[in-house]
Amino acid sequence: MAIIFDENGLPTGRKVEGGHVRVLIVDDSQFVIKHLTQIFMSRDFEIAGTAENGKAGLELFKSMKGQIDLVTLDITMPEMDGIETLKAIRELDPNVTVVMITALGTVESVKEAIKLGAKGYIVKPIDREKVIERIGQILK
Amino acid sequence: MRIEYINPFIEAAFDILNEVLQTNVKRNELYLKKLGDSMKGVAVVIGVTGNVSGRIVFDMTEDTALNIASKMNGEKFTKFDDMVRSTIGELANMVTGRSVTRLEKENLSFNFTPPTIITGENIHIYEFSDMEALIIPIDTGLGIVEINIAFKEN
Repeated sequence: MAIIFDENGLPTGRKVEGGHVRVLIVDDSQFVIKHLTQIFMSRDFEIAGTAENGKAGLELFKSMKGQIDLVTLDITMPEMDGIETLKAIRELDPNVTVVMITALGTVESVKEAIKLGAKGYIVKPIDREKVIERIGQILK
Repeated sequence: MRIEYINPFIEAAFDILNEVLQTNVKRNELYLKKLGDSMKGVAVVIGVTGNVSGRIVFDMTEDTALNIASKMNGEKFTKFDDMVRSTIGELANMVTGRSVTRLEKENLSFNFTPPTIITGENIHIYEFSDMEALIIPIDTGLGIVEINIAFKEN
């Protein structure tokens, strides 16, 4: 998926081929969901859905299979954690871009997520500039 | 309680509060508290295992929690609702997350439980051991947050 970057080199949520990048946000914190939603929407991304645990996120992903371009996954979540959700999502669609969002800057979980196909990770606190910059690097 | 177990939390809390609140965050003098002493009204409890067993409590008044949540969300909250709870829990997650990185640098390994938020007047938290809690009061500029740490070395 190729996206359009603005004159400052920052990513927009518009695809080169037309249309918007559709994002699924999976995080057990309403606070994080709210802030990521605001950040993505301010850059023209489209929020396809949000879920507060991995199981619900996976169900949403299945119901919208083929229509999601980008998934943000929290690592520590109830019901089904981010690593398990990542595995299941990648089995369903190996081409989807998955970005891990984590407060736990532990090397091991991040390494495992990357090995399982995550394209990158963002360490909390969620900061607008940091998220936009990282998403730009990941989608380049 | 060894200071190398405590410092990563103090530094992480100070850094995160500074980053997310962007107020004039100040650290006040540490002191010891007997377990069972009452909490301020909103207590975020995180269990810790690994090199130590114990727990961390982020202790604040409801007003402080509302002020912090309002600042972090850019909107005024007057009730301790789901979004305020989520914001305060996330703040505690950010602090423990940041401290993990610092603990790893010291070759220490700690695991944390997800935060549990307890609210109410006259809350007492008791543990069945002879621990004392170390209190690190942080003046956030929006109210005092006390980081209450009780660890026992394994």
